[in-house]
Amino acid sequence: MKKTLCFSILLLLLSTFLAACNSGGGEQSANADGKVEIDFFHRWPNEPRKSFYDDKVKEYMEQNPDVHINVDYVLNDAYKEKVRVLVSSDELPDIFTAWSDSFAKNLVSSERIMPLNEVIQEDEEWSSKIIDSQFGGFTFDETTYGVPFTVDGKAFFYNKAVFEENNIEVPTTYDELLAALDKLQKAGYEQPLVEGLTNTWAISHYLGTIFERVVDPAVLDKDYNEETAEFTDPGYIQGLEMFEELTGYMGDVSTAIDHEAARNMFAAGEVPVLYMQFAEIKMVEEAGDVEFGFFDFPAIEGAAGDPTALTGAPEGWMVSKNAPEETIDFLKFLTSEETAAEFTKTDGQLNAIEGAVTEENVNPASLEAYELITNASSTAPWFDNAVNINVADIFMRGGQSLATGQTTPEEILKEVQQEIANKK
Amino acid sequence: MKEGARMIARRNRMIPALFILPSLLFLGIFIYIPLVQNFYNSFFDFSVFSPTKEYVGFSAFEQLFADKVVMTAFINNVKYAIISVIFQVAFALVLATILEDKLFRRIAPMLRVIYFIPVMISISVIALLFNFVYNPQMGLLNSFLELIGLGNLTVPWLGNATTSIYAVIAMSQWQSIGFITMLFIVAIQKIPKELYEAANIDGAGKIRQFFSITVPQVKEALFVNMLITITGSMLVFNEPYILTNGGPGTSSMTLSVYMYQQGFFKDNMGYASAVATLIFVVTAIFALIQIKVSGTGKDE
Repeated sequence: MKKTLCFSILLLLLSTFLAACNSGGGEQSANADGKVEIDFFHRWPNEPRKSFYDDKVKEYMEQNPDVHINVDYVLNDAYKEKVRVLVSSDELPDIFTAWSDSFAKNLVSSERIMPLNEVIQEDEEWSSKIIDSQFGGFTFDETTYGVPFTVDGKAFFYNKAVFEENNIEVPTTYDELLAALDKLQKAGYEQPLVEGLTNTWAISHYLGTIFERVVDPAVLDKDYNEETAEFTDPGYIQGLEMFEELTGYMGDVSTAIDHEAARNMFAAGEVPVLYMQFAEIKMVEEAGDVEFGFFDFPAIEGAAGDPTALTGAPEGWMVSKNAPEETIDFLKFLTSEETAAEFTKTDGQLNAIEGAVTEENVNPASLEAYELITNASSTAPWFDNAVNINVADIFMRGGQSLATGQTTPEEILKEVQQEIANKK
Repeated sequence: MKEGARMIARRNRMIPALFILPSLLFLGIFIYIPLVQNFYNSFFDFSVFSPTKEYVGFSAFEQLFADKVVMTAFINNVKYAIISVIFQVAFALVLATILEDKLFRRIAPMLRVIYFIPVMISISVIALLFNFVYNPQMGLLNSFLELIGLGNLTVPWLGNATTSIYAVIAMSQWQSIGFITMLFIVAIQKIPKELYEAANIDGAGKIRQFFSITVPQVKEALFVNMLITITGSMLVFNEPYILTNGGPGTSSMTLSVYMYQQGFFKDNMGYASAVATLIFVVTAIFALIQIKVSGTGKDE
C-alpha cells in the first residue's frame, strides 16, 4: 500500500516536471495553408525585444496576409552555436540576426548567405537611410551580405556622485584611471571596478580595446587577418599585463559572476566603475537610480596604438540564399525608419537607421553615445569577432586564468603563437 | 511428416533472429555507425562551414597528447570518478543499508522519495539552484559559513580555479546519490532475511552484518553501480557545462565539455572527433577492466 502511494507521488512529481518542460518550448506555429513561410530566427528570448519582435511579426503578417512568419529564438551564446550548426545544413532560417566581421565572415564562407548588393542598389529610398559606415563589417570582397541594424560601443561608466564625493576627476589617461581606482579603494570600495568574468566575451571586450590602445594599428591589422597573423608584438604582453592589473581591482567575486550581475552591482551603487556597452544604458537606468556618466577607455602614454579608436560593432540581419523573395520585403520592414525608431524607444539600444535616434526616443546619455559612435574616427570590432575563434578563446580563457593567478601573459601569448603555428 | 517438422524447426530458428533484428538495426544506425564514422572523422580537419574535409592522418592525435587542456580535463574526469565512487557507491550503499534497517521501517519510504527527488529534477534547474548556493555575494553556502563563524573559509566557489571542479562534483553527488541508493535498496531487499536472523543469533552486530552479509550479497549490484558511476564520470558534460563552462580558465574542464567546445564553438570538428575517440577508448578500457574483475554476467 505504502509503495503504491510512494509510486504515485513519484509519478505526480514527474508529470509536473514534464508539464513544465513542455510549456517551456518555443511557440512555433503550425504550417499555414498556401501561405509563403518565412523562418525568422533571432537571439532575444528576453524582454523587451522578444515582445517587440513578436509584435512586429504580427503587424507584418496583418499587413501581408499571404505571408506566415515562424519565429524562433535562443539566447546569445547558444545562438552562436546554433547558427553555426544550422549554416552547415539546409535548415538555415530565411532571415536571422548576425554579428559583423569574423562571425559574419564565417557564415558567408558557407556560401549559403544571400549577397545583398542588388537589393541595396535597387531600393535607394530604403538603403540610403542606413548609416554607410556600418556596412563595413558585413562586406567581404566588395559584396555585402548583411544589413546593419543595432550599433554599439563600449566605455567606462562611472557613478557621478561617488566621483564627486571623493574629488575624482574623470580620467583621461590610463595612469589617471589607476590613480582613481586606488583612491576609490582607499575610500572603502573593496572592488572599485567590477566585471562578470564568467562571460568570456566580457574579457574579449577588455582585451580588444586594450590592444587597440597599445599595439600599432598596422600590426593589429596584420594580426587580425588570419593569413598574416603572428601575435609577436610586445604590446600584447603589455596589454595582458594591463588587464591583469585591472582585474586586481575587481575583487574575488568577479570570476564567479556574470556581466549582468556586475551591471546590477553598478546600478545598485555598490561598485562605482563598470566597463559597459551603450546598449546597456537603459538597463542600468531601470535597475537602479544612480547618476552616471561615461568616458572612453583612456589613452595610454607612450603606447603605439590608436588612443581614440572606439570598440564596438554593429549587429544586423542576414538572409539565406534559399529564402523566398518576400523575405527581402520583411527585411526592409525590420530596418525601416519606423521600426527602428520604435525599437530604440522600447529597448534603448541605438540603431544604424538615420533619423530613428532622436531626443524623443532616447535619453541625453544615449544621444551623446550615439554621436560618439557615428562620429568615431575609427571603430574596432569586438575582439572575439575580429580574430579567429581559436585565438580569441586562448585570450579569453587566458584572461580568466590571469584573474585567478593561474597563468602569465607570456604563457598566454606563447599558446597563441603555438596555435597559429599549428594552423599553418 | 518428417519434412514438416524440419520446416518448423527451421522457422523456429529464424524467429529469435527476427526478434533481435529491430534492436540490432537501431543500435547499428544510432551507435555503431556513428562510432565508426567518428573514428574516421578524426583523421580529417574540417569545420561545420566547410563542405570539404582535409585528410591530416594522425596529426589530431599527436595534437591530443601534446594538449595541456586534454590533460587537465582527463585529471578532472578522474577526480570526478574517484569522488563519485566514494560518495555514490560507498556512501550510497551505507545509506541504503540504513534505510532498509528495521529502525527506519516506518519513515524509510518517505526518505527514499526525498533522496530520489533530485534525480528527477532537470539538470539545468539544479545547476541554476547551485549557482545560487555557490554565489559569492548572497549564496547559501557562504552565508552559512559566515553564520557558524567560518567566514574566513568563504571563497567564490565557482570562480576559484582550485575549488571550481570540486564545486561541480559536489553538485553531481547531491543529485545522483538517490539513484544509486535506490538500486542498492532493490539489491538489499533481495537478500534472504534468514542470513540476518542467523547472524543475529550468532551475536553479530550491525556493522559486522554489513560487512559480512550485505556487502558480499550485493556484490553484483556494487560492480554494476561502479561501472555506471565511473563511465558516467568519464562522460560528464551537463554539470560543468552549465555551471562553469569549464572555467575559470580551463580549471573545471572535462573531456566532454572540451570536445563540445572544440567542435561547436571553435569549429575544429576533426579535433573534436579525436577527443571523442579518446573518451570512447578511456571508457571502454574502464568498462573492460571492471567486467573482467567482477565477472559480471556469470552466476556465482
